[in-house]
Amino acid sequence: MLLEVRDLHVEFRTRDGIARAVDGVSYAVDAGQTLAVLGESGSGKSVTAQAVMGILDTPPGRITGGEILFQGRDLLGLREEERRRLRGDKMAMIFQDALSALNPVLPVGDQLGELFVVHRGASRREARARAVELMDRVRIPGAAQRVRDYPHQFSGGMRQRIMIAAALALEPALVIADEPTTALDVTVQAQVMDLLAELQREYRMGLVLITHDLGVVADVADRIAVMYAGRIVESAPVHDIYKAPAHPYTRGLLDSIPRLDLKGRELYAIKGLPPNLTRVPPGCAFHPRCPMARDVCRTEVPPLYEVSEARGSACHFWRECLDDGER
Amino acid sequence: MTANGEPILEVEGLVKHYPLTRGVLFKKQIGAVRAVDGVDFALGRGETLGIVGESGCGKSTVARLLCSLERPTAGSVRFKGEDITRLSGRALKAVRRNIQMVFQDPYTSLNPRMTVGDIVGEPYEIHPEAAPKGDRRRRVRELLDVVGLDPDYVNRYPHQFSGGQRQRIGIARGLALRPEVIVADEPVSALDVSVQAQVINLLARLQTEFDLSYVFIAHDLSIVRHISDRIAVMYLGRIVETGRDAEIYDHPTHPYTQALLSAVPVPDPDARERRERIILGGDVPSPTDIPSGCRFRTRCWKARERCALEVPALAVPDVFREGGGPAAHDSACHFAEERRVVPPEDPGGPEAPQATVNGNGPG
Repeated sequence: MLLEVRDLHVEFRTRDGIARAVDGVSYAVDAGQTLAVLGESGSGKSVTAQAVMGILDTPPGRITGGEILFQGRDLLGLREEERRRLRGDKMAMIFQDALSALNPVLPVGDQLGELFVVHRGASRREARARAVELMDRVRIPGAAQRVRDYPHQFSGGMRQRIMIAAALALEPALVIADEPTTALDVTVQAQVMDLLAELQREYRMGLVLITHDLGVVADVADRIAVMYAGRIVESAPVHDIYKAPAHPYTRGLLDSIPRLDLKGRELYAIKGLPPNLTRVPPGCAFHPRCPMARDVCRTEVPPLYEVSEARGSACHFWRECLDDGER
Repeated sequence: MTANGEPILEVEGLVKHYPLTRGVLFKKQIGAVRAVDGVDFALGRGETLGIVGESGCGKSTVARLLCSLERPTAGSVRFKGEDITRLSGRALKAVRRNIQMVFQDPYTSLNPRMTVGDIVGEPYEIHPEAAPKGDRRRRVRELLDVVGLDPDYVNRYPHQFSGGQRQRIGIARGLALRPEVIVADEPVSALDVSVQAQVINLLARLQTEFDLSYVFIAHDLSIVRHISDRIAVMYLGRIVETGRDAEIYDHPTHPYTQALLSAVPVPDPDARERRERIILGGDVPSPTDIPSGCRFRTRCWKARERCALEVPALAVPDVFREGGGPAAHDSACHFAEERRVVPPEDPGGPEAPQATVNGNGPG
């Protein structure tokens, strides 16, 4: 296994108390595989990724438990210097907002070339040449001329491609993409996702795709982990989950997508709001919004039940949910 | 949600150019951002018109022009037959009551220092004739109730609410003056997925309850289809295709619409193999430097010489005029042809070939 997150716990100290942003998350990605981590804001999907990358702000964040095994080594046991050497080289991250992730006062060519200087000991001239190659690779027209341009001189889609170029520069084994296309228009999103998929196939990278978009997930993922209030509530191969979700939250998300046959009718809507992480409801965190909730849900935290060999659901009544959801 | 009678809003030849100037003391105009560049449409009473398009296509500028937040460079917006772009003073104020806006970002469109009661009741300060002073408090509470908020929240501040609740506050404010038209600019795109459906349902319910006509602007094509009777697709300041929702989604004839629809991810992993994807090359040209002829030609795989010379009119293309049917709707393309890009919902349809369009085209 390329990456294995085991029972990860991350807390944040806030004015309102301790927020358990990540509360026992486990997931795994293999080389060449795409895992989609699906969740709304505050579900803990980005915090988990930041912990894996080692870029979590501590304080206020704190990893209070768990293991992050990358190529067999526990990252949490490494010194900062060792982790820094892994970042960019063996594991890389693509952020949502390329404009704030790129340095605005440095030409993009320098930012791409820097990776080769720092990690590969390349000369400045070599680095420049590699930067042009990379920009060409992500289909930036006129790469040789544009290598001296600054981030603001590129369009949003092109900046995102430059960030992909930076992430893939050293051919890392693992890439984490945090909402890589959320800020982009659909036609540009299609370009970027297409490029990412192509490069992933070519380099056989493991990809963790963090998103809230059920459409994007269906398009590219092999597996899905659905997160809610800091926990994984359902984890399954992509085809299974869309066919029959085994958790009422997943089902609610899928049912609230507008469908043709329901046009003009009321959309299914999950009632209520996602919880405040400093005051997560007892028992199952989803119970106040769940149409299936019963007494046990208010008191007992559901473990991740094994639905099938490759599939888990953190719902006491996953069997019912699965039967209801056959569609 | 059907249209009847004469339109409540008629837009004709709407143009908004923002001048680009150089020099401080002696300003010289060196060009213009052609944000909206000739838009026509009509909105029927009780109807919902969805406007879709990507960033920079001018859809938000259209929204601002409809609400008289800006004056157009040319063209007219007629509300019940009266051109509101030429009004000023008291007459303008009176018309503004009837066309209200719901904004995209519920975090920046509510004043953080005002209570919810003051925010929702503020329209009455500007239009005192709408509600007598003693009655306003009651009306505000009623409005909060209508949008699904606890009326006892009147004294709270915006930061005490979630995004979805804030959007409800914005909607309540929009309803305060009992408008006839609501222009909603990306009303749900800043919200969490599980909350979007709640707000869409609310908007749909209010439409029947208050007999509202909507102009619904969004980039999420599935939501637009759900709520709209008719759709207009915009590209670089113009409408390139318009028709009833099924005509646009199931029988698009303009290549941009086809590319746009094919790019939308479908929440069905089984559709991965079946669907046809048109990946457009390049970026949207700058609105300061719009291509000659058809403005989509620089990214279009069908572009020919004629496209650079002749601006295609928004009308039913000749090829479809005789046959009628769902493909016979307005489409601004010289070489319009029907192409189904969204896979039919039941599997087993004919295998669609993978179409990839690349290269940046001329220009």
